[in-house]
Amino acid sequence: MPYPLLADSITLELEAQEPWPQLITLYQPYEVEQILLPDNANCLAVQAFLKMCGLDFQIEPRSNAEYMSPSGRVPFIKCGQFLISDFDSIVTFIGNKGTSLSDHLSANCKADMRAYISLVNNIFINAELYICWVDETTLNEVTKIRHGSVYPWPLNHYLNWQKRKEVIKKLNVLGWYNKTLEEVCNEVQNCCTALSERLEGSDYFSGEKPTEVDALVYGHICALSMINPSLPRTVQKITATVQEFPKLLEHASRIGRNYLNNCMLESACDFEMCASSSKETLWNYSESIEALPPLSEDSFEILLLNP
Amino acid sequence: MDMFELTIWKGDWGLPSVDTECLQVLVYAKFNGIPLKVNAVGNPFNSNLPILKYNNYTFTKVKDIIEVFRENNYNTEQNLSRKECAKIMAYDIMLKEKLFPALQFIWWVDEKNVNELIRPWYCKAMPFPFNFYYPGKFERQARVIFEALYPVEDDISIIENKVYSEAQKCLTLLSTSLGESLYFLSEKPTLLDAVVYSYLAPLLKAPLPNPALQNHLKACTNLVTFVARISERYFSNECHEYKTKENAQNVKQYTHNEFPNKRRTQLVAGFFVTLMMATYAFSNGILEVSAKDSEISDIPVEDSITNNE
Repeated sequence: MPYPLLADSITLELEAQEPWPQLITLYQPYEVEQILLPDNANCLAVQAFLKMCGLDFQIEPRSNAEYMSPSGRVPFIKCGQFLISDFDSIVTFIGNKGTSLSDHLSANCKADMRAYISLVNNIFINAELYICWVDETTLNEVTKIRHGSVYPWPLNHYLNWQKRKEVIKKLNVLGWYNKTLEEVCNEVQNCCTALSERLEGSDYFSGEKPTEVDALVYGHICALSMINPSLPRTVQKITATVQEFPKLLEHASRIGRNYLNNCMLESACDFEMCASSSKETLWNYSESIEALPPLSEDSFEILLLNP
Repeated sequence: MDMFELTIWKGDWGLPSVDTECLQVLVYAKFNGIPLKVNAVGNPFNSNLPILKYNNYTFTKVKDIIEVFRENNYNTEQNLSRKECAKIMAYDIMLKEKLFPALQFIWWVDEKNVNELIRPWYCKAMPFPFNFYYPGKFERQARVIFEALYPVEDDISIIENKVYSEAQKCLTLLSTSLGESLYFLSEKPTLLDAVVYSYLAPLLKAPLPNPALQNHLKACTNLVTFVARISERYFSNECHEYKTKENAQNVKQYTHNEFPNKRRTQLVAGFFVTLMMATYAFSNGILEVSAKDSEISDIPVEDSITNNE
């Protein structure tokens, strides 16, 4: 089968011509007002991955990041002439440049890691999409307001409708649309159990050093466990499911401490603290992200996290 | 004791079933040595296959069916560690993410395969009114899958490249993961082997006119022997049946050409046509020959001879 391989090697060839290292710019939606659960998890995962690789990057929040991305998904990075979106592609791209977190692993171990990446990518992302776009309460109380927050009046309704249609079509194909919330929580629980089993007593999924899976799991566990308690009960259910796995929370906070050295990790591990923190403290952050002009009161209520 | 009754898609090409999910359940049952009554059918009009009937209950999802088997103490994963069970789940999801779209593409989107192999097969396999409706329906469903998975991509060839490239990587991973061992997790086959077999066997065995991905799989020799091993051990009947059938067909093809006595037919046809045209020309007076009576009377005689041939 010449074609796909040919295409792959052409990209590799093109990428090789770029000087390296280069400044990486990470584009993502606004974290405070706009970003939704699945995107947030992915952005955190990519950030963690880049930090683990020891690469410098700049975060560039854009309200239309979704439409700038070549695949329609956020986050994406700009590196020289290349725009690369999706966790997998970014990992491959950085890997082609010679920086890889899993080089020291055996081939067998690498294959396992790929499988776990698939597991996380499918179960967590679909569950997050389900919560955001299928569950009626969350959809009306959070998703529509946040997703539409950056667009003017008639456009926000249209774009919400369009996005919802797209997500539902995808979930339908994957067999997630007809699940009940219980079933979704069960899936998440199964996935967390599997990850927890795999982690056993070690610091990271493959021993002493973190790999791509660790970054990805960190992103999702962080995003899911840090959901603001003022959110609808349905979202809380998922959070509660994730909270049942102390090993994963510990793992997330370890990565946060060692690689992202910011304060949110403490609160990731200590949910109570996150729950009790007031709206002001949640809102009161921003190191790399320029704050948007204040929007409606509602949009602040739905902070999903406090990076 | 109640029997398990399993309804599945019927098989061909040496496969017990052509459908991935049906294969998965069937292979898992065989691994456990479950006494099954298998109905291989060609009309899925009431619901999605596979269907398991047990104790007057009906189960249709693979997950549920395997759960039923386990409740009845048919379990290949009992002796595995929890870490290995986690691995099964991860691989299951990975195969579904990477290989399922590729199989759908090969089965229902790739035009050459659909026109030359898949659609004719399904048309033949299903009873009369349904064979006009279902193949088209499956094709539409497959197209919807790719529209949903690649919402920003319109060009089908780009999607094809992406799908194949993902699937290839996945096959390579499986090949390294299996290595030299007999089965994926231990000496005995487990659910993971059933899952892997269910994706690889149709891809390997179907005589696809466009064998792009198939060739890649054939290059991973340990996977090919893996599939052959399971087929031989658990589905030897189907294997042999197909082999003998194929051999018989080959022999038949060798002796009975598509057009036996081609030259003779050509000659007779050519002669007959010339004769007819000549008759026409003469009867309409386009060609006039000052013929003698005896020559004219010859023509109808000759005509009747050729007709008799």
